[in-house]
Amino acid sequence: MQKPLDRRSFLKSSLAAGTALALPLPAFAAEDTLNVALIVPSPAADVGWSHTLLAGAKALEEFGPGVKITLLENIAEGPDADRIMNKTVADGNTFIILGSFGYMNGGLKLAKAHPEIAVLHASGYQVAPNFSPFGARYYQGTYLMGMAAAALSKTKKLGCVGAFAIPELITSINAWTLGAQAVDPSIDVSVVWVNSWFDPASEQEAAKALLAQGVDVIFSNAQDTPSVITVAEEAGAYVFNLNSSMKAYAPKKYLGVVGTDWSPYFKANARAHLDGTFAGAAAWLSMADKVVYVADLNPDIPADVAARMAEVQAATLAGTLSPFTGPISGQDGTEKVAAGVTLGDDMILSMDWHVQGVTTPLPK
Amino acid sequence: MSGIAFILAGTLAAATPLLLAALGEMVVERSGVLNLGLEGMMALGAALGFIVVFLTGNHALGFLVAGLGGAVLSLVFASLVLGFVANQVAAGLGVGLLGLGLSSLVGKAYESRTVPGLPRLHLPGLSDLPLVGPLLTQDIVVWLSLVLALGLWAVLAHSKAGLVVRAVGENPHAARALGFPVIAIRCGAIAFGGTLAGLAGAYASTVYTPLWADGMIAGRGWIALALVVFGTWATGRIVFGALLFGALSLGELSAQAAGVGLPSQVLASLPYAVTILMLAVISSDRRRMRRTAIASLGQPFEP
Repeated sequence: MQKPLDRRSFLKSSLAAGTALALPLPAFAAEDTLNVALIVPSPAADVGWSHTLLAGAKALEEFGPGVKITLLENIAEGPDADRIMNKTVADGNTFIILGSFGYMNGGLKLAKAHPEIAVLHASGYQVAPNFSPFGARYYQGTYLMGMAAAALSKTKKLGCVGAFAIPELITSINAWTLGAQAVDPSIDVSVVWVNSWFDPASEQEAAKALLAQGVDVIFSNAQDTPSVITVAEEAGAYVFNLNSSMKAYAPKKYLGVVGTDWSPYFKANARAHLDGTFAGAAAWLSMADKVVYVADLNPDIPADVAARMAEVQAATLAGTLSPFTGPISGQDGTEKVAAGVTLGDDMILSMDWHVQGVTTPLPK
Repeated sequence: MSGIAFILAGTLAAATPLLLAALGEMVVERSGVLNLGLEGMMALGAALGFIVVFLTGNHALGFLVAGLGGAVLSLVFASLVLGFVANQVAAGLGVGLLGLGLSSLVGKAYESRTVPGLPRLHLPGLSDLPLVGPLLTQDIVVWLSLVLALGLWAVLAHSKAGLVVRAVGENPHAARALGFPVIAIRCGAIAFGGTLAGLAGAYASTVYTPLWADGMIAGRGWIALALVVFGTWATGRIVFGALLFGALSLGELSAQAAGVGLPSQVLASLPYAVTILMLAVISSDRRRMRRTAIASLGQPFEP
């Protein structure tokens, strides 16, 4: 974004550079160096959760050659992670990104012991002056995917392979269902909980179980490998997932990705950390923050629905539309959200009920 | 109905990794050695098998390398427990962790990659039958595993070689006094178990799932170990246990997909609970248990 140099500004800047070289100001040097450590629970492969965090952290390299990023992958939650966190700080890293909920308590202790560092922590809830939890509003994207799924489903049965029945996953399934009902009110959604964050074989069997019930669009909810994607492609069912695109694994039937791009958030916080203005705060990042996005949409989506999706996306970006605006009924038909009322963040963050249209009872 | 077809079609494939690993472990334990490193040996086999299939597209070669990998790792275990007379529990756990670490290391560059699986063999006539058709339409490894189970049963129960292995497990000192090379026989049994664990891993990563991801064995080695004990070291019961576990784990998912009104956590624990219960009931005969339990299991042997 720099203007082309004319002779005068060139002279000015070279003069400034000369002065800077002659009188190295410590503040100037400090701005150039930032040691970032990223700790993630799984290997940072070409796809998946850890991959998106690494891509976001790598965006910090735009700050200049003084930015050094250390990736610590496949770190099990628990005492081992605490030890590694302490070591990264001892090694001189001051901007720490923790990629798993289970790093929370260790990370918080670390932040309290080292006020000079800044810690960003994925999917937690604890806040300290130098410790910020962050998460993504996946539901904004899954609502759009629900519209696409309803338009493409012939059996009018959608299915979701879920990891654990926790609010983050429940909200994304509910928004998906509501999006589908916005296009076709007769849509049914079945959910199979694998009860594991990581078991590709069971995830595949869960997808096959859904397909056997006549499901023809699948939501791979929080699987870090293309397990569900490959099964759906083989069976000829549309499929989408979260975080990073897996289109390569399902060239024909890939419905799209509800992706996350952490770089705007990481950059803003790294800048604040460098400027000394970092303040711990919970961030639930949205489409408007340019963190959540929808991409790689399948060309099979009918043009009229695609146009409606674009409208919804624009309204979501403008903040005038929330999937969780009433009237919304629960599974048993009772009114959960009154007409015209929009659920607040705290209600969405603690959601433990399914909307009407989800046929699988929610485990309590 | 469609749910039942799904369970019938998937059970044998779901049971095969468990069955292969459990059959190998059965032979190891019959010889008196407890190998707790099964999970790591499966993981190493899964990683090696996947890499070979990914690079060459040849499943037979993938299984070969996976079997060799499992065997080599099991020989590390054998050198500890037979050569250095180390505690079998500690050595098994240690070698298992080594296997998990190695699988993670060699598989790093292949994380989340996929390969084509093996085709399911269409048996003329049989595969077209209603209901049992899908059950009979399986890949070649499934059938070979069942043949292997039958062969192992025949060898262990009805051959001299089987009798020798069992004798070594029952009373290694007596076997040695009779002139049998106890250490060599145990070493062979361990290598056999390691090979099968490697093959089980390769089946999981190149046929059943077929993708590689670190940690994809996800506890199946431990389930196989439990099947051996609850199946009282009897081939038929281990086959039954593996099939039951496979069917129930699919049934649980199918029940969820069909919207059965039970909490998914309860359903998820069903395969474990029912398999343990069934096998416990089968092996509840105390006298029989005393006869089948392996007398020297887990005890170090020093000639």
